[in-house]
Amino acid sequence: MLDLSSIVSQVRRGMIPAHVYADPEIFAAERDRLFARSWVFLAHESEIPDPGDYVVRRVLADSFIVARDEAGAVRVMFNMCLHRGMQVCRAEMGNASHFRCPYHAWTYRNDGRLAGLPFHREAYGGEDGFPRAGQSLLPAPSMATHNGLIFISGDPGAPPLRDYLGDFAFYLDFYTRQSPAGVELRGPQRWRVKANWKIGAENFAGDSYHTPHTHASVVDIGLFREPKASQRIQGALYQAGPGAGTTYKLPPGAGNEQSFADQLRYVGYPDAMIPAMAATWSERQRALIADSGFMPSAATLFPNLSFVHNWPQVDAAGTVAPFISLRQWQPVSARETEVLSWFAVDAAAPEDFKRRSYRAYLMCFGSSGMFEQDDVENWVSITEMAAGSMARRLNLNSRMGLTSEGKPLKPPLANFAGPGLAYRGFGEYGQRHWLSQWSDHLSREAR
Amino acid sequence: MTAARPLPYGDPAHLAAHQFLVEEAALLDAADYPGWLELLCEDIRYLMPVRVTTARGAGFDSLAGMGHFDEDLYALRKRVQRLATDHAWTEDPPSRTRHFVTNVRTFRHDGDDLRVESALLLFRSRGDTREADLVSAGRTDLLRATPDGLRLARREITVDESVLRTQNLAVFL
Repeated sequence: MLDLSSIVSQVRRGMIPAHVYADPEIFAAERDRLFARSWVFLAHESEIPDPGDYVVRRVLADSFIVARDEAGAVRVMFNMCLHRGMQVCRAEMGNASHFRCPYHAWTYRNDGRLAGLPFHREAYGGEDGFPRAGQSLLPAPSMATHNGLIFISGDPGAPPLRDYLGDFAFYLDFYTRQSPAGVELRGPQRWRVKANWKIGAENFAGDSYHTPHTHASVVDIGLFREPKASQRIQGALYQAGPGAGTTYKLPPGAGNEQSFADQLRYVGYPDAMIPAMAATWSERQRALIADSGFMPSAATLFPNLSFVHNWPQVDAAGTVAPFISLRQWQPVSARETEVLSWFAVDAAAPEDFKRRSYRAYLMCFGSSGMFEQDDVENWVSITEMAAGSMARRLNLNSRMGLTSEGKPLKPPLANFAGPGLAYRGFGEYGQRHWLSQWSDHLSREAR
Repeated sequence: MTAARPLPYGDPAHLAAHQFLVEEAALLDAADYPGWLELLCEDIRYLMPVRVTTARGAGFDSLAGMGHFDEDLYALRKRVQRLATDHAWTEDPPSRTRHFVTNVRTFRHDGDDLRVESALLLFRSRGDTREADLVSAGRTDLLRATPDGLRLARREITVDESVLRTQNLAVFL
């Protein structure tokens, strides 16, 4: 029998019962207490630019059609026919004015409303037997967008998305709003890994400590201009709202607009993009880069959407190109995760930049990425070990940055321009921040 | 430019193309990646689009602008260099792989160049507890005749899954 309160109290001290990374009972609790309620990312508006465009995405076992209707509004509908429960859309993307169930041909408009059913008069007695008005594919209980990111919640009384995002919205702009045009997403690459979904989410939330060793190979081969892995300890780790993330320390700047531009040039942004970034980001957002000297890198928005921003060399001449990726850890079971990995780029960026940035992404992250390859190897191994009996005797130590009494080893950074808390150097602050939210959800009653 | 019909199986050009693919597979299964790089043209394009599930008649079944691979020689060299380091953990211990190459069809392209279609089944086994992975794909290659023999100028890998079941692509197809 699962003793959730004991597990949660261990997790809150930074000692994680190892079996939570492979336990079907924990997975069921996550499904019923966390994913049934939390805001969860599904898609980006740039994936469905035109009326009729749709993608089909899942939250655990639930399949949703994310469509742009004829009026241009984004709709998220449970992909199950009202009549006998067949999936009404079995493609994963496309363009359609209607979705017709293959079983009995009940047909729905792309806003979800039932448009017709065969033999309505003969079989049902027309409107008397079956009033069609108001019949619609089940909408997601709550749906909202931010910077074009489409989120749903299984809770009809979910807090407004913007309230949920809180101070993390500040950091989200670095990945998803570099100009008024916003970002465009390409992909996703999709693949399944035999790893628990939490491990990737925690990693991106703050594990700068793994970079020097796990990713030693990409430094060995000179993929970066500088030995980045060993510079990781210079970065700041932040936590804000439901998110947490990592940064790299940039070379010293003069703390002015020129320096802001220099820092962006240093990581490979072309001059053509910098004025829009300067105009789109707030003074405080610019100050994070220019004055504090930190460039956002990996981050996780609770529960399962992560981000990465990095800048490898994309040719033998040493051209540095930054890329952004969004990735989702879509739980399949306690021991399996589908990874969805998108390449994201400012929609208004010059085409040659988009090309360089895409190549930078492919080399580093995604199904073939040279960083991601070694990450997943670790996560599969952890999950495999967590499934046995001995793992039930082991609490994994996630207390880096705390004294034995549980006090912070060092104070937060005083001159960090971003909201929330930030610390310099290594520490598992972001992972504990993520786990604290996980604990909050698992301590609540199931929805 | 491409002839509509494949060359007869007895055609020396077909035999040379088929042998090229089999020898290439032997290098990959032996993890002789530097040897494999020798088979590539300087201007190689190595592509693997992301396949998607779409309605019949949708007119597309792969993503525009997104692949699993879209590589030039620089990127492929980096991948090979990485596997030779002491820190490429995902392939240390290495996978046991077998590249099965079949259904080879050779077409005349420009001049002495050949377009070669083949079917590939990659078997990949790691460690002692995990299920082995299979990756099934079609490949369309452009083989260029050079003074050193045939060299690969372009490869497009048409993978047969929309969601890969192998943990990463730290392997070449």
